[in-house]
Amino acid sequence: MVELLAQTGLNAIYAAAYMSLIAVGLVLVFGVLGVINFAHGELFMIGAYVVVAIYADFQMPYVLAAAAALVFVGAVGILMERTMFGPLRDNPLGGLVASIGFLLILQALVSVQFGVRMEHVPPVTQDVIVISEKVRLPVQRLAVIIASIVFLSLLWIFLRKSKFGWALRASAQDREAASLQGISITRISIIAMFIGGALAGIAGALTAPLISVNPHMGHSVIVAAFIVIIVGGVGSLEGAVVASIAYAFVHTIITTFWDGVIADIVGLALMLAVLIIKPTGLFGTADRA
Amino acid sequence: MLLEVENIAVSFGKVAALRGISINVGKQSIVAIIGANGAGKSTTLRAISGLEKLQEGEIRFEGEAISNLPPDRIVGRGIAHVPEGRRVFPDLTVEENLRTGAFLRTDAEQTEADLRSVFESFPRLLERIGENAKTLSGGEQQMLAIGRALMAKPRLLLMDEPSMGLAPVVVDEIAVIIRKICAEGVPVVLVEQNAQMALRLADYAYVLETGTVALEGNADSLLDNDHVRAAYLGV
Ligand SMILES: Nc1ncnc2c1ncn2[C@@H]1O[C@H](COP(=O)(O)OP(=O)(O)OP(=O)(O)O)[C@@H](O)[C@H]1O
Ligand SMILES: [Mg+2]
Repeated sequence: MVELLAQTGLNAIYAAAYMSLIAVGLVLVFGVLGVINFAHGELFMIGAYVVVAIYADFQMPYVLAAAAALVFVGAVGILMERTMFGPLRDNPLGGLVASIGFLLILQALVSVQFGVRMEHVPPVTQDVIVISEKVRLPVQRLAVIIASIVFLSLLWIFLRKSKFGWALRASAQDREAASLQGISITRISIIAMFIGGALAGIAGALTAPLISVNPHMGHSVIVAAFIVIIVGGVGSLEGAVVASIAYAFVHTIITTFWDGVIADIVGLALMLAVLIIKPTGLFGTADRA
Repeated sequence: MLLEVENIAVSFGKVAALRGISINVGKQSIVAIIGANGAGKSTTLRAISGLEKLQEGEIRFEGEAISNLPPDRIVGRGIAHVPEGRRVFPDLTVEENLRTGAFLRTDAEQTEADLRSVFESFPRLLERIGENAKTLSGGEQQMLAIGRALMAKPRLLLMDEPSMGLAPVVVDEIAVIIRKICAEGVPVVLVEQNAQMALRLADYAYVLETGTVALEGNADSLLDNDHVRAAYLGV
């Protein structure tokens, strides 16, 4: 029993790690641009396909593929800002609808290029850390955990210590007042979309060798990301991190002891409960709902 | 003239908020804009800062047209704006709020010196330097908003109802600060519903009524004007 709990705990930490990367990006983009990017799950998917192309097909080093995913998907984020969210500023609903259209385009492009079958990404390493007979941690999963911690820490330091980090937080709190300090909303939106895209892309790249890669894989994470954000409090970066870790734990534990469908239902129920009891989310402040 | 606002018009859908307003601000002066609820005072300041698009008219600052530049570029030209309702960043600390005001500046040493002088003018902000702005009282938040604007090292300061919701003692403190800012060489455009305070501080004043300038003149003469006395000073 103790061993089962320990193993489940390890699985949960792994799931929480990459979910946090995805959820934080979504929340950052919503906070700064005021739009819900429905294509965020597809940015995660594109990150995985960059690894398929560069690492699996062209057999280049995995680390290079992961770095390429970060930069490329970040650039796709910038493209989305320039072509959709920028022109549709002050029209959050328009931005949301455009992002749904973009999601379909990305899925179609990937299907045309790679086909709709699942891609097999060869494992980067087969090593497993054996903690005890029944508690094992594949090194690949450990790498995902470590990389997530590193990227989230870097983001944290950037937000707390750098001038543009302040500007991002200020813009998320009051965009108009931020513009009155000389902060260009256009530039800050581009930065937010790059970071959001890059984090989703690296999450896709990190998990590509561990999950089934297919053009529709974005759906499964986007639902979870929304639950995480609503539970954590829309607009609060700290909340999103804490909520994603907590949610991933609950989800993994329920999936292990009962099953995945029940875990999803519990997640949605949790979200409803939070919406009813504290509509601004567990960590959200009142001024953004 | 430092600032020339020439016959500007702004609409929100079918509602015409400003219908041809002209305002001039010279160097070394406090210019007041008074008027009732919805007269168009805030819209005038927001148009100057680039937050509202002009339908007609032109705005020049230091002789150059700034009409329809984005707000961040207008800050770069030297106009800072203390917005209605203070609008400090609630989850940034006092220090972070002040430093955001200096976002465009590259003169690091002078910026640090200005930060120290803001803390000298507002000792209460220094006491709460590390706390989030949302924990401050209304008066402290107003001082933070003013300090933040000063950190931009502006050559013109726009202030929208700095006395709103504050106790009379605090309003007096704010008035002293506005005088000091002007004395240090930064002209102020002061929007107020508190006409008494505004006219006492100002050199020149405009009275807005439903999006037009109903009256203008030296602040002293407006204090004696019958219409102003009846409509805005309640005497
Ligand atoms: N965002 C907006 N959308 C629609 N109408 C607006 C908007 N902002 C202002 N208005 C309208 O424009 C007119 C001028 O408003 P403004 O805020 O400039 O008035 P004000 O003189 O600052 O009033 P107050 O003393 O209440 O602050 C009003 O009729 C107001 O209802
Ligand atoms: Mg107003």
